[in-house]
Amino acid sequence: MSVKSKIFSAMKQIAEEQKVTLPPLEDDLPLNETGFDSLAFAILVARLEDELGIDPFTVAEDAAFPSTLGEFVRAYENVPA
Amino acid sequence: MRNVLVTGGSRGIGIAIARRLAASGDYNVVAVARRESRELAAAIRQAQRRLHFRACDLAATDAIPVFAKSVRDEFGTIYGLVNNAGIGTDGLLATMHNSEIEALIRLNVLAPIILTKYVARHMMADGLGRIVNISSIVASTGYSGLSVYAASKAAVAGFTRSLAREVGRVGITVNAIAPGFIDTELTRSLNDEGRRRITGRSALRRLPEADDVASMVEYLLGEGGRNITGTVVTVDAGNTA
Ligand SMILES: NC(=O)c1ccc[n+]([C@@H]2O[C@H](COP(=O)([O-])OP(=O)(O)OC[C@H]3O[C@@H](n4cnc5c(N)ncnc54)[C@H](OP(=O)(O)O)[C@@H]3O)[C@@H](O)[C@H]2O)c1
Repeated sequence: MSVKSKIFSAMKQIAEEQKVTLPPLEDDLPLNETGFDSLAFAILVARLEDELGIDPFTVAEDAAFPSTLGEFVRAYENVPA
Repeated sequence: MRNVLVTGGSRGIGIAIARRLAASGDYNVVAVARRESRELAAAIRQAQRRLHFRACDLAATDAIPVFAKSVRDEFGTIYGLVNNAGIGTDGLLATMHNSEIEALIRLNVLAPIILTKYVARHMMADGLGRIVNISSIVASTGYSGLSVYAASKAAVAGFTRSLAREVGRVGITVNAIAPGFIDTELTRSLNDEGRRRITGRSALRRLPEADDVASMVEYLLGEGGRNITGTVVTVDAGNTA
């Protein structure tokens, strides 16, 4: 499974648990329109760290969180595993 | 068996907590400190593989994310986190070295906040967890010579209340314990006269002991603690009553 599809499936699972309805997952979808609140994102980052063994936001130099889904996925793809 | 991380678990209040939790049979305890003390090595031998030591200098906060991950990789899901490691450097503010002020805030405030961040995220993903922070009665009373320490312990209490609100929805409780004066290495600079004064001022005319704090931790981690969050529990033999 690609990093992208792992991220999407983790998002779908969290959406189910948190009872939020996800819009279609596309690259230019702004993260604040996913229906995820900050808590859901925290859970997502933690689950992905377990699954992929990386947390790009701890490794990153700057403190900015991505603003679209595509940027979020790229943050994971760009980390040397 | 539920894993519990106890920082500063090599002596004083921390080892009392680690020992009690391991002896309860409900927990697998990982005691964290810079060095394994003799006392802890002995306790580990007695605890039938329910008590472990892992070294970490928590003042090196950059290393905390990797440390948290290594504990999780080795032991699995962490159910409980007890932020107990701390230093009690005293001194008049006017003459305290800036490096001492910084070191105090670093270990007592920054380290537990960052460790909690990396442990709580996984508790969130797991949907349960208990966090206990060791504050102090000095956070809300006054004691000359302890202004920086008091600030650090008040920070812990404030952190506790707001974090409880943040993570309550996913089933995590966050509480603090405010012990009164307890005889440990941290308080060895207080002389007998000072000790007598504190005892005399306490409703029960005695000092609380490390194991009294350990009992409260056990309670908060157990069934009885499931609906207690965002609070500071005082264990001080009535010193501030
Ligand atoms: N004693 C009291 O009267 C009292 C009252 C209220 C609150 N408290 C609080 O209770 C907590 C425990 O105090 P205590 O009296 O048990 O102190 P203690 O006997 O001095 O023990 C402190 C523990 O913290 C560990 N520690 C210190 N620096 C560390 C570092 N850089 N990294 C990792 N671990 C470190 C020590 O192990 P190493 O040195 O091997 O690292 C030791 O295990 C503290 O947060 C203190 O503020 C104490």
